[in-house]
Amino acid sequence: MKRSRFSPAAFTAVFCIAYIVVFALDFPLFRYWPLHGDWTWGRARLTDAGPAMAWYGLMANAGIAALLAAFVVPDAWATRLLGNRLWLIPVGAMAACVFLLRQFFA
Amino acid sequence: MTIFLLILHGLVGVALLGALTHQSVSLLRGRSARGVAFLDRYAGARDRTFTTAIVALFVAEVTLGAIIYPAYRLGVRIPFEEMSLGWAIGAFELKEHFAGLGLAVLPYYAYTWKAEMAETLRGDRLAITLVLAFVAWWDFLVGHVLNNIRGLE
Repeated sequence: MKRSRFSPAAFTAVFCIAYIVVFALDFPLFRYWPLHGDWTWGRARLTDAGPAMAWYGLMANAGIAALLAAFVVPDAWATRLLGNRLWLIPVGAMAACVFLLRQFFA
Repeated sequence: MTIFLLILHGLVGVALLGALTHQSVSLLRGRSARGVAFLDRYAGARDRTFTTAIVALFVAEVTLGAIIYPAYRLGVRIPFEEMSLGWAIGAFELKEHFAGLGLAVLPYYAYTWKAEMAETLRGDRLAITLVLAFVAWWDFLVGHVLNNIRGLE
């Protein structure tokens, strides 16, 4: 069977892990400040700019890491290593989100 | 415009959770049911044909959500904070993070549904499909409940 250079298994695994890391460390690639439509890189903060949105930047950071991994890690290797166990990674990432947001439910 | 996109977001969400629920039930039944009972007919759909539609709907759903997200951040979340509705803010935060993780799962989801992977990745196919179904249901229900508390303007 002809295999693609892109590894879906590596993409999904690395995205989920990277997402939780940047979320836990509060390290988005950028933030959007919707009140005036401003953008800032990384952890930079603006004063008097209203609330910030980090989600786009978290997605971008995790996406870059996942794309790099997906084209570097051979698909056969990733699938052999993670096959039929990979679902644990997104489930673990979702559980980590619940843990990181627990203050809202206390 | 925001209201139009919100309604579209909701309609795409309905289609997505319908397709994912159909596919999940079919997987869980584990056989090609061809009986006359409703559940047999429901589970007897050709589940593989749903995959492309689910990927397209999921991408469309998250994209629409990302477009209207600033309106939520300014017009809904701030009032939630003023009303001390921490659980509502937390539920929406989970909705956004689950959606992002669901988007990340899509390439592998599509991969596990390829005909040549049917046997080797059977376990992942079932679990990943159920994860996506959970995300679709969670995001839809949270969005619906929060919109009932305070809708976008």
